[in-house]
Amino acid sequence: MDNSVAIPNTKKIKKETPAGKILGKAFLYLILIAGALIFIFPFFWMISNSLMTLGETITRKVWPAVPQWINFVQAWEQASFSKYFANSVLITLGTLTGLLFTSILAGYAFGRIDFKGKNILFSMFLATMMIPESVTLIPNYLLIRGTIIPLPGGTWINTYWALTVPFMANAFSIFLLRQFFAQIPKELWDAARIDGCDHLRFLVQVVMPISKAPIMTVLLFGFTGAWNAFQWPLLVTTRNTWRPLMVGLYGFIQEAGPQTNLLMAGAVITIIPILIVYFLTQKQFTQGIATTGLKG
Amino acid sequence: MESSKELISTKRRSAFKQQELKDQITGLLFTFPALLIIFIFGIFPIGYSIYMSLFNWQVTKGPYIGGQNYLLIFGSWSNLLVLVAGLGLFALGFFVWRKAFQTLNNGQRLAHLAGALVLILGGVIFVTGWGLMYETGNKDFLNSLIVTLYYALGTVPAEIIIGLVLAYILYQDIIGKEVFRIIYFLPYITPSISTAVVFQIIFSSRETSLANQFIGFFGVDPLRWRFEPKPVLNLLGLNVSGLAGGPSLALVTIIFFGIWSFVGYNTVIFLSGLGNIPKEIYEAAEMDGGSKWDRFLHITIPMISPVTFYLSLIGFIGTFKAFNHIYVMRTPSAQNSVVTTSLLVFDRFYKANQYGVATAQAIVLFIIILGLTLVQNKLMGERVFYG
Repeated sequence: MDNSVAIPNTKKIKKETPAGKILGKAFLYLILIAGALIFIFPFFWMISNSLMTLGETITRKVWPAVPQWINFVQAWEQASFSKYFANSVLITLGTLTGLLFTSILAGYAFGRIDFKGKNILFSMFLATMMIPESVTLIPNYLLIRGTIIPLPGGTWINTYWALTVPFMANAFSIFLLRQFFAQIPKELWDAARIDGCDHLRFLVQVVMPISKAPIMTVLLFGFTGAWNAFQWPLLVTTRNTWRPLMVGLYGFIQEAGPQTNLLMAGAVITIIPILIVYFLTQKQFTQGIATTGLKG
Repeated sequence: MESSKELISTKRRSAFKQQELKDQITGLLFTFPALLIIFIFGIFPIGYSIYMSLFNWQVTKGPYIGGQNYLLIFGSWSNLLVLVAGLGLFALGFFVWRKAFQTLNNGQRLAHLAGALVLILGGVIFVTGWGLMYETGNKDFLNSLIVTLYYALGTVPAEIIIGLVLAYILYQDIIGKEVFRIIYFLPYITPSISTAVVFQIIFSSRETSLANQFIGFFGVDPLRWRFEPKPVLNLLGLNVSGLAGGPSLALVTIIFFGIWSFVGYNTVIFLSGLGNIPKEIYEAAEMDGGSKWDRFLHITIPMISPVTFYLSLIGFIGTFKAFNHIYVMRTPSAQNSVVTTSLLVFDRFYKANQYGVATAQAIVLFIIILGLTLVQNKLMGERVFYG
């Protein structure tokens, strides 16, 4: 749904003069632009500082005299970002694959199939959204370490599985997809069933193609969740075999300390993939929020 | 469907039965992968946490010690009893007070008085219990609860108000609406570790830092920002110390970051909520000659209340979960003035290796969140207007 249909503004009974109206409108734009500046400023600062010499960052120039692209090379090498970057990409891809698989299936089941125990299961899933990580973190760590139950391979510390498997399902994604799937007209399913279609084929051939927007929303949130994860990877990676970018950046922050320009270059590197995915998906993403959002 | 129902024969009926069975199996099969992961990593750990909290567990499991880990928090069970009794009385007083407002009989004034008395009594007992706990219990944990509360009160209401205002303006006939929305949402999706680093530099204690130059413009002396453990009220010249003086300047800096990174999410959700308000209502109000402000106050705010409720719930739960940016932005010199409960639990576990103590603290945090959610549900849920 598009929000572009605005409230009919004037006509009929109106006391405001045209001049007053223009002033009012200008005021609104002023607020919007001020807000936008505040939101964007830290990003601007990040980029401008990442291109400065160390001296320029200390004397607080607004923009570098000569952009120091070398900072990016230096930060990349000093923080061994090649390793972390590749790790983060692989971890994110694996997590997203699993997440899409589990949440599309579960979202479909909760939205379109009547089965016993459905409501209990669904409310149980939703309840997990309220649980703080502080409670689950420690047992999960023991689980992954292989203390509670034996795991294939002994321990999962420093493995790919520790960083992906626990995030391959979450209540939020299932809820979002369920909301959308439940709105699909029943007639479609009736027609498909007469043609001998079962649930799986109906899901893959009919439901998924018309659900691009909510699936994109799940993808974007899943992507940011996996890419931005910090606390858990910090815990389960003790070597850099599978250590992701965020933990690498945190290490770099401790290490680079006062070298603001390199620090900022590192920060810019870590947000670029997120920015690309965001700008590519943002259209479907807003649609997804609007059509599945809350009280639809 | 109607006509097909009339045609049901026994054969048809068995076909339906078969479909039902098929649905049952498919439903369970489809939910199984998600269930497996959510159960193992989301539900089982709660039970296991409770189990762990009953042991002297330091890296490896030690002997069973019952409620000892909880006693470390509360000091003694009687302290907890006093605190809970105070809370109970407070709730009772509130209930009587409210009932008195609803009924219009002669006993009303008396009930009001009784309600107020019980309310005050409950409050006093609660504070006494808190004081006792503070004497003998775990000060760090109780401090962290106050820090978390400051953080929640500093971020959630501001995020809601700013989010609603921005969404309401964007919902008007605005050129470049898309661009504004993209920009507003940006801080929410970018990694907090990366953006927190920028805030570190902007709010550094150096005289030349951007924040200090900014306040210098208004003639204010440089501040130490995220290195400053002193409460803001103290810095304003009031003679209060400790946590009674409000959040420390270091925490306020983190609150700034919290608001900055979360407002966009609220804006987007409010915007989609505004789209669901029927246009006819606005048109009718306009016919009646209500001003824009009237319409905002008497139509938008009540109609949007379910969204507001949802966002405040998510926001509050979020502040209790908040970890990454606080972990990155905290400084040793800010001491415990920025240590929220989720950080405290992490430190107990990760740095001190006291797994049993950490799980007990986490469980108490969880119970507090549950309680607050229920209260919020009760208080706000009644006022929410569901169309």
